[in-house]
Amino acid sequence: MKVFFFHLMPWPYLPDDFEKRYNSAWIWCPNSLYDPVKGRDLYNSYIDTLAYAEELGFDGVCVNEHHQNAYGLMPSPNLIAAMLTQRTRRVKIAIIGNALPLYNPPIRIAEEWAMLDVISGGRIIAGMVIGGGPEYYSYGVNPTYAREQFREAHDLIIQAWTREGPFSFNGKHYRLRYVNPWPRPLQKPHPPIWIPGVGSLETMDFVAQRRYAYMGIPYFHIDVFKRTFDLFREACEKCGYSADPEQMGWAIPIYVAETDAKAREEFEPSLWYFARKLLKGIDITPPGYTSLKSAAAILQNRGKFMASQETWDDIEKGVYAIVGSPATVRDMIDHYSKELGIGNLLTGCQMGSVSHELARKSMQLFASEVMPYIRSQAEETRE
Amino acid sequence: MINETRMIDVAGKRTQVLVGGEGPPLLYLHSAGSETFWLPFHQGLAQHFTVYAPAHPGFAESEGLEEIDTIEDLVFHYWDLFDLMGWEKVNIVGASLGGWIAAEFAVRYPEKVDRLVLVGSAGLWVDDAPIADLFASLLSPERLRSMIFHDPNSFLAQLLLPAQPSPEQMLLSFKAMQAAARVGWNPFMHNPKLRRRLYRIKSPTLILWGESDKLIPLAHAHAYHEGIKNSQMVILKQCGHLPMFEKTEEFVKAVVGFLRS
Repeated sequence: MKVFFFHLMPWPYLPDDFEKRYNSAWIWCPNSLYDPVKGRDLYNSYIDTLAYAEELGFDGVCVNEHHQNAYGLMPSPNLIAAMLTQRTRRVKIAIIGNALPLYNPPIRIAEEWAMLDVISGGRIIAGMVIGGGPEYYSYGVNPTYAREQFREAHDLIIQAWTREGPFSFNGKHYRLRYVNPWPRPLQKPHPPIWIPGVGSLETMDFVAQRRYAYMGIPYFHIDVFKRTFDLFREACEKCGYSADPEQMGWAIPIYVAETDAKAREEFEPSLWYFARKLLKGIDITPPGYTSLKSAAAILQNRGKFMASQETWDDIEKGVYAIVGSPATVRDMIDHYSKELGIGNLLTGCQMGSVSHELARKSMQLFASEVMPYIRSQAEETRE
Repeated sequence: MINETRMIDVAGKRTQVLVGGEGPPLLYLHSAGSETFWLPFHQGLAQHFTVYAPAHPGFAESEGLEEIDTIEDLVFHYWDLFDLMGWEKVNIVGASLGGWIAAEFAVRYPEKVDRLVLVGSAGLWVDDAPIADLFASLLSPERLRSMIFHDPNSFLAQLLLPAQPSPEQMLLSFKAMQAAARVGWNPFMHNPKLRRRLYRIKSPTLILWGESDKLIPLAHAHAYHEGIKNSQMVILKQCGHLPMFEKTEEFVKAVVGFLRS
């Protein structure tokens, strides 16, 4: 089992009555609520926290891309990844991901990731995403082409990394007379590719056919993950092989404290801050962004999304987060990672308003009391 | 009066067309609201004209959206329809998105347009009077209703945009928004080049607008009026974005009166 530390870099200073006064933390959430003076300390502390994950023995760190929102302040995850290449020596740096349709031409992504891969000594994981619904409003990109642009940009990036240049690329959306990027990535044939999804069969087939890794998008009920990974395994079987657990990743908020009661007391406010303020408006779906079938599925899963939960009981029953003493967290991870059959655990505790001190305390407890156990369990399962 | 829905092949695109009435042909180009079934205003126009009301590609049962990337592609689609029908010169009435298509068609093929009616039409950029973001209100029927109707609480407004739409209504609107976004996401529901091409429209043109149109503000009516030499403007009081629904009688009277004058 590989254990990653996932960061969103959220804005933790929204007013208490935010959800009454504003209808979204996205697109229209006024940026007058952002304070650059506070932002300076915040960014630097968040980067310290990511670097601390290496010290604690995590296998990797994850950064991701979002635009014009309070939920995640990494409009350019590649910039943060660049800093992390200098702050770390060993950990994988998973950029999950770049929203391919937002880059034009996407050759820029092939270049930046190759730079990062070379500079980091081959530690980059390339996450390719379509981008969230809100991003299509914020970036003016036509959502009715999201899927086909994603496919085409993916093809361009892979070709840029694996074909000898210069060559021409003549797609519907991207036309380049010369594709010949310098540098080329260090990892061969190219950095590992992770693609997140929330159950779309099309995406699963795409990932399975290419033997990439599929990451379940977090903040859904555990049943959604179960169904998703089962379907992914089926998709791999259809392609004539059995999915490797490392082809599947489970992203889940995890908070550890000395006792169950203390963990809840310290983490619950942060979780509700996240669910009620930062997730507000994330589910806006621009026209044409999904097929009719997927749109219906999204509507159906709405009740199984963290933002729709009302009580701590809902959170616990749906396993929207794992919060407790080291023993509790150990048991739950052990149970569910076996049930899901996953080989990558993407943990994170700083998606809401939890303080840096508490976040680091939780990471430290997780690393010393939980991580060794789940690694040895995974070893046993393998043997 | 008899009306029927036909499925015809327009240069390879299966296209739904409502046909009804008697008299010279009138091409009605619908809005993103997808008024693609026979309604009282069609009936009113059909007293004097043979009304042809095709659904644009991707709307209702019409296919071929994958070949539509820009408003230009829709113009070509309707040029194909003209050829198929053998039309030399016909009256065109276009509402909102359909008005945009009609204006784009008329600047390219002015000789094919007899008289032109633009109803609450998209297509232009007007500084300080942006077209409201209908795509941002998809999940809120209340917001859409107040954007589109003079009286959002009227029986009609509640009927057309109910708080709890039926699966059929949701499907129709899902397809409509997708097809509208295809050509209208960015630039937002307009073509930056259309305004300086409007001088090419030679047909007598009626610009018909609801006074309290909050989706496409009245400033756009003035911009069309300024750009099209041979145009007249009629503003309907206590009327929002869709006069054919909210003021059916006045709409029919104004359009028929203009086309027959």
